[in-house]
Amino acid sequence: MERDQPAGLAELAAAVTRSQVPGLEDLYFERRAESLWRLAAGHVVAREASLHEGTAVRRDGQLLSGDGLDRPVLANLLGIASRTLPSFSAPRFPESPSLEHALGEPPAGWTSVRWRWSWAAVLTGRKAVTVTRPQLAEVTLADGQRALFCWPPEASTSPESPVAQTATAVRPGKVRVLLAPTATTVLLHELVGHPLEGDLLVRGASPWSRRIGERIMRLPLWVTDDPTRTDLPGAFSADDEGTTAAPRPLLAEGVLAGALADRRTAESLGIEPGNARRAGVHSPPRPRISNLVATARGTLPEPPRTDAAIEVLALSSGTLEPASGVVMLRVRTAFSLRRGTRRHVLAPFTLVGTVDAVTGGLLAAAEPSDRGAEPGWCAKDGEVVPTGGFAPWLLLEGLEVR
Amino acid sequence: MRASGDLLMAALHSASEELSGKGVRFEVFARLGESTRLSRGASGILERCSSREFGVGCRVSGRDGAGFGAASGSGARAGREAARIALGTMLPAPDPLPPRSVLGATGTSLPHDVPESERIEEVLGDVAARMSGGRHGVMLVQARVLAGTSAAALATGEGFHAGAKAGGTVMELLVAPPEGPWRHFHFAAPAVSDLDPVTIAERVQETALLATRGSQPVRQLADVLLAPAVAAPIVEALVRYLTAASDKNREVRVSGAWHLTDDRLGPEGLLPLPWDGEGLPARRIDLIRSGEVGERLATWELAERFGGRPGGAVRPSYRHPPAAGPANLVVHPDPSTTQSKLLGRMANGFYLAVPAGAVRVDATEGRFGVQAAAVALQDGKPAATHPLVELRGSFRRLLAGLLAVGADSESFSLGCAVTTPSLLFRRLEIV
Repeated sequence: MERDQPAGLAELAAAVTRSQVPGLEDLYFERRAESLWRLAAGHVVAREASLHEGTAVRRDGQLLSGDGLDRPVLANLLGIASRTLPSFSAPRFPESPSLEHALGEPPAGWTSVRWRWSWAAVLTGRKAVTVTRPQLAEVTLADGQRALFCWPPEASTSPESPVAQTATAVRPGKVRVLLAPTATTVLLHELVGHPLEGDLLVRGASPWSRRIGERIMRLPLWVTDDPTRTDLPGAFSADDEGTTAAPRPLLAEGVLAGALADRRTAESLGIEPGNARRAGVHSPPRPRISNLVATARGTLPEPPRTDAAIEVLALSSGTLEPASGVVMLRVRTAFSLRRGTRRHVLAPFTLVGTVDAVTGGLLAAAEPSDRGAEPGWCAKDGEVVPTGGFAPWLLLEGLEVR
Repeated sequence: MRASGDLLMAALHSASEELSGKGVRFEVFARLGESTRLSRGASGILERCSSREFGVGCRVSGRDGAGFGAASGSGARAGREAARIALGTMLPAPDPLPPRSVLGATGTSLPHDVPESERIEEVLGDVAARMSGGRHGVMLVQARVLAGTSAAALATGEGFHAGAKAGGTVMELLVAPPEGPWRHFHFAAPAVSDLDPVTIAERVQETALLATRGSQPVRQLADVLLAPAVAAPIVEALVRYLTAASDKNREVRVSGAWHLTDDRLGPEGLLPLPWDGEGLPARRIDLIRSGEVGERLATWELAERFGGRPGGAVRPSYRHPPAAGPANLVVHPDPSTTQSKLLGRMANGFYLAVPAGAVRVDATEGRFGVQAAAVALQDGKPAATHPLVELRGSFRRLLAGLLAVGADSESFSLGCAVTTPSLLFRRLEIV
C-alpha cells in the first residue's frame, strides 16, 4: 500500500542484515517525479510528466541496480529469496505542482520549466537513513542555456541572457575582468570544487593533489561545500551513503583546507566521508560538490567596475584541464567597461589562464553576494547531479581573452 | 527475473488496458535495457556496475488535446502509471500521433546477447596490459567499457505492434602522455568481441604522443583535416542544427563532397533499427547530397505541420516523447582517398587528431567550437605541434567548405551513432 511516509525501512534493514548477503555494503532506494512544461511566448504549449523508482545494491565491490522499488527487485539484486524480506514502502509520489500557481505568467524568453521532486533512502547495516532534497526548478532559455533553482522558479531569477543588440568582438589578449556572482560560482566550481573531489585527489588528477594546507591565493577567500543550504539546488539531509550532511570547508582564507570524500576516498585521504552523491540509482556514489558558498574578508561594498576592462555576467561553461592546469571560461554575457560604465555588449568569447595565474590573480571580492543559477547541473564522467553556489563579485587578472 | 519479451508485453498490455475506453488515441512504448559497465583505474582496481532499466512512455491524444507520461518500475505497474499520468498531462494541442496506415517495420532487429562481465573484463584487462609500463611514457589513467542491450516494443490503440532489439559497446580510455594534457579516446562497436585490444592499445599510444608540447597557434583561418574522432561530434552537431534550422538557414551553398545520410536501415553505421521512434518503417534518409541540404528529419507531427516526410523520429529513452533527430549517421567515405592523399591536398593547415571535450554549439548564431590536439603542416610536412587548439566556425562554412573525405571510416556512439572518415575542410578558424 502506498503511504505519504516511507514505512518498514528499519525492519527491512534488520532483515537484510539477518540474510548475511556476502560482501554487502549498502542499499539505496530512490523515487523521483518530474514535470516539464514547454513554453512559447509565455504560454504553456505542452506538458510531460514522469515517475521513476529504482533500487541499487553494492555488494562484492560492485553496483547492481534495477528499476522498480519492491521486494522482488531487491531480492534479485541481493541474490536472496523475496519471501525473506518484509514488506516496505517508499513515500507516495507527490502531485505535480501547478506552474500557473507557482509562477503566474512565465517570462517570454523561457522555453521550458522542469520541476523535480526526489526521495531516497540508504540502508547500511541495521541503519536506514532517509535523504531529503529540495524540489528543483530548471529553466531553459531560447538559446538552450539552462539554469537551476530551488522550486518555485521566480521570473526575477531568470538567468542572464545575451542582451539583444549588436555584439562587439572582444580584442584577444590579457585582460582584467570583473565576474558577477553567477560567473564566480562557475569559476570556483572548477577551480576549487572539482579539483578537491576525493577520487580526483587520490588518482592524482588534480592540481591540488598533495597540496592541502597550502596557501593558493592572496585574497582572503573562504569556500565551503554546504549541503545544508536548503535554499540552493545541491542540498541534501544526508549524502547518498547515509552520512548526515554537514558543511565542509575547502578553502579558508586562501588556504586549501579540506576535500570532498565518499567512504572509499575518505579512507585514502584520512578525512571524514559525507560528500557521496549518485546521479541516480544506476550510478555509483562518488565524491561530488553540493553547494559552494564563498565569502571573503574585506569585501568591497560594490563591484569595482572602474578597475576592470570587462564585466562578465554569465558563463556558458567552465573547464579545468587537470594535467596542464589550464582554466577555460566560456563567456556568454559580458560588457566592455570604460571608466566604470558599461560600453559595449561583447560577443561570446573564451577566457583562458593557468590555475596559478588565476588563483594568484584574484584581486578583490565585492558585494552584493548572490546565488548563482549556474553551474546548475554538474556532469562528471557523464553522471549529472544538481549543484548550487553563493558568491560575491570577483575582480581578477591573469586571464587571457581568446 | 522474467524474460524481456514477457516484461514488455505486460507493460504494453497494462497501459493499453488503462487507456482503452478513455476516448483517446494512444501509443505505448516500453523499453528494457541491460548494461554492464566496468571501470579500471591506474591502480588496476575494477569498479563494476550492472543495471537493468525498464520503463514505459505513453502518448495520448483526444478531444482535450495531447499529453505524455512515463514511468519506470516493474512491468505492468509501470505501464499503468505511465498511462495514468499521461492522461493527466493533456493540454490543447494538435494530435501528434501518426495514423495506423503509415506505421510499420522495415528489416529486422539484430539479435544481441547481454555481454558477459568476464568477457568485458578480459578485453579491458588486455588493453590495460598492453599499455602497462607506459610505453614512451603514455600512462593509462582510466579505462571504461560499457556494454549493453536493449529490447523495445511499441503498440498503439489502433492495433499496431512492433518490437526491436539493439546492442552496443563503448570503450573509453583516459591516458596521460609524458607531458601536456591528458587525452580521452572513444571506441564503439556492435559487440565487445568487435573491439580489438591490440589495435586499440597501439592507436592510443601513438596518437597520445602526437602533440604533447608546443605553443598556442596564432589565430587564423586555415585548412583543417579532422580525424574521424574529431569529425564525428561536429557532424552530429551539424545534423542537429539542420534539423532545427529555419528553411532560410538550410538554403546555403553546399560542397559536392558531402554525402551524409541517416542510415536507419543499415547495413552502414552502428545502430540500425527496423522502425523510427514513432513506429514508421526505417529508411535511409539523405541529409546532405549532391551539393544540397536534403531531407529534414521530422516526426509525424512536424511533417504534417511544416511539410516534409515523417520517419525521422528518435526515442533515446522511454522517459521522453519521440523527437526529430539523427539515429545512425553515416558520412560516406571515398575509398580512393587515403589519409596521405588528404594530407597532400592540404599543403598548409592543421591536422586535428584527438578531440578535447565536447563540441559547443551556439544554435542561434549557427556556430560551433571544439578543442583538439593538432599538428600544423607546412608544404605538406609537420611544422609544429599544438597540444590544445580551438576550432571554430559556422555551420554554413562547414557545409560549403568540405574539400574531400577520406576512406578511414570509424564509428562512434555519441548522442546518436556516427560513422565518418577523416574530413578535410577549407578555411576554418583556428585559435
